[in-house]
Amino acid sequence: MHMSQLLHRAFWVLVLAALTLPLGVEAQLRTIVSKSVSASSSRATLEIEFEDDGTLEIAFDGGTILVDGEAVGSYEDGDELDTAWRALLGDAMSRESGALARILDGWAPPADLDRDLENAAEAVEYALEDALAHLDVEAERGDASVSVSINNEEGSLIRLLVSAMGNLGGLEKALKGLDENFRIHIDEDVVIPSGSMVEGTLVVIGGSLRVEGEIEGDAVIVNGTLDVRSDGSIGGEARVADTRIVRNTGEIRGGIVNVLEDEREFERELRHELYDEIRAEIRSDVRNEIRNATRFEGDGFSIMSPLRPVIRGVGGVFEKLVGVFILALLGAGFLAFAGENMDAISETARRSPGRAAMVGVAGSFLLVPIWLLGAVALAISIIGIPVAIAWLPLFPLAAIMASVLGYVAVARNAGEWMADSSFPWTAWIRKSNPVFTLVGGLLAFSGLFIAGHVLSIAPFLNVFSTLLFIVGGVVTFVALQIGFGAVLLTRAGRRREHYSTYDADAAWEDAVRRNAEDGLDGNAGTTTGEGSDDA
Amino acid sequence: MRKTMTAAIVAAAVIAPTAAQGQSWRTVTMSRQLEDNGEVRVFVDYGAGEFTVRSVDDGILYRMNLKYDEDKFEPIADFSGERLHLGVESLRRNINISRRQSGSLELELARGVPMDLKLKFGAVQADIDLGGLALTDLELSTGASESLIDVSEPNPVPMEKASFEVGAAEFTIRNLGNLRAEEIEVRAGVGSIILDFDGRWQRDAQVAVKMGLGSMELRVPEGLGVRLQKDSFLTALDSEGLIKRGDVYESPDFDDADYRIEVELDVAFGSVAVVWIR
Repeated sequence: MHMSQLLHRAFWVLVLAALTLPLGVEAQLRTIVSKSVSASSSRATLEIEFEDDGTLEIAFDGGTILVDGEAVGSYEDGDELDTAWRALLGDAMSRESGALARILDGWAPPADLDRDLENAAEAVEYALEDALAHLDVEAERGDASVSVSINNEEGSLIRLLVSAMGNLGGLEKALKGLDENFRIHIDEDVVIPSGSMVEGTLVVIGGSLRVEGEIEGDAVIVNGTLDVRSDGSIGGEARVADTRIVRNTGEIRGGIVNVLEDEREFERELRHELYDEIRAEIRSDVRNEIRNATRFEGDGFSIMSPLRPVIRGVGGVFEKLVGVFILALLGAGFLAFAGENMDAISETARRSPGRAAMVGVAGSFLLVPIWLLGAVALAISIIGIPVAIAWLPLFPLAAIMASVLGYVAVARNAGEWMADSSFPWTAWIRKSNPVFTLVGGLLAFSGLFIAGHVLSIAPFLNVFSTLLFIVGGVVTFVALQIGFGAVLLTRAGRRREHYSTYDADAAWEDAVRRNAEDGLDGNAGTTTGEGSDDA
Repeated sequence: MRKTMTAAIVAAAVIAPTAAQGQSWRTVTMSRQLEDNGEVRVFVDYGAGEFTVRSVDDGILYRMNLKYDEDKFEPIADFSGERLHLGVESLRRNINISRRQSGSLELELARGVPMDLKLKFGAVQADIDLGGLALTDLELSTGASESLIDVSEPNPVPMEKASFEVGAAEFTIRNLGNLRAEEIEVRAGVGSIILDFDGRWQRDAQVAVKMGLGSMELRVPEGLGVRLQKDSFLTALDSEGLIKRGDVYESPDFDDADYRIEVELDVAFGSVAVVWIR
């Protein structure tokens, strides 16, 4: 037999059995497998765990009585209820399992309590009984057999039975608040003939109800149809759940109440909310996926993953070339507007690179102290304060400019050296054009980085690219220090004591002049002598 | 009788609670019924106070009576299948408590249920009787405590290893023979240690004792074969009744004894005395 059919049949068997054997079953107490009884001056708590994983926690906590975390009443420390509760816990401490269950189930609050305390005490008593007691019902019909535990409170038998079976949750709502005088029809069609009257509440589950006569109380139809003919009347409400109204030409005094309407509405709203949330989440996921798929950085896989090294390498090369271009522009500017200064710096760097480097390193170390001391020295005098305001940004700017000037001057030297070299790839550098030598030098300094970026495209050459980056960094650092030192030594090219410009034409003319003068004197003497000898 | 007294005292505390000055005492009784338990790994943590452990045969897996300052501690009672964690844990770090201010933990564990027992306690006055417990493994770790460990009844199951780690303590273990351990390890920092090898021996055992500074007394029942090997720096050994053979000391009947223990002593400073018991 199919499982759902078996369950379906078992359920109805159980319902029938429960209805026909209400007095034939015995109440038993649930088995307690774990307990915790704790007490302090302000709290007295009982926690129990049942064999079937159910739990119960009743706490008298600071004036509030909590059952499973929900407040059910209040008390005052030391009042009759508190005292009775603590006495119960004191007794519970030394008892286990069945004995514990019995004393808890048998607990009764003190008599003659105040109204509020009495209500709270009833809530506690009910909670204990409700948690501890259950009813074992066994029923059989044909090959279907079922055994289930339900609460033994007779008044709530149907409700609990139904609530235990999830497929008829609507019935619980439909029965809520009705009196206990039920006539129940399950899985059958019911007709109330004209002229007849049903007392109390009529419940039809899984069938149709046709009302031609009178129902005194309410009619409850779950999972069925309702047909109220013109002569028919229902004194109370027609409560429907999962039910189709076929016809309503008679009289329903209490009106039709769809007990699941609120639930449906809530479900609809919930569904819409869920749709919106899911839609937003999908959108967000898709957006993230696209972002991940197209991003260049990161460790995750994306369709751009194989191209990342190429893009990164080409980007690095481009970045360096832009740097060379900018420095070349700056260098050209220096050559155009401060050519002699640059000549002096270049010459000093060329002739005394070691000294320049030492001065550069020392100057680099002293930059920050000088900047700060200068600012402080200027700031301590009223007159110096405006200067200090200018000093703070201008000094670093001047230092940067000095570094750039020195660097391009050294690069120019490097370019000249390459022009003099016999390398075939430096033939384009014309020594007579300082811009060419400058660009050549800058490219030479950046060449190591560019080569490193090119090698980085191939992941397995990362070691070499890293090595090139390191060497390039060292070269750049040294060039910067030499250049900066040369700038300092020559006072930005204004002081030429560390070099004297070599003017070839002037030197030639001076040499010829000296030679001529020396020649005249010599020739005269010689001539004279020779003449004298001849004479 | 003892249990009844305890229950009565605890119950009285529940019924008529009093708040000690500056402390919020809370009493808790927790218990769990025995189910179809297989071997259970039991961890017990307790910081300071009075600590007792007993075996119980009431159909429960454990029962724990606890008295603690609820402003500073909270009880632990986690049971998940094969793992049981009991004791208290502090709510914040660096809690200074004296023994006088501290509470108590009385723990009863089920007899006959195989247990891998780990006890960890700090500044406590411990009175632990492991008799009747079916211990498959035992680890005991304590700080500055005054501890009396007894194995009053034989362990119904053999144990592979029992280890005791003692900080600065007065530490006594009685009836080690009842543990049925193949290997016994005692590591002590500073203190006075008494190892009583009495009990019903059912197997040979290796005993390793390491101690920093202090006095140690080895109480050996007559009839138990003892071989003692000492590796010490400045330690006085009173080996009365033992015969020195090479590097080791042996009881005269070592070769003929039904059961033997081989003790490796590693004591830095202090004194070791072997005392024979009848």
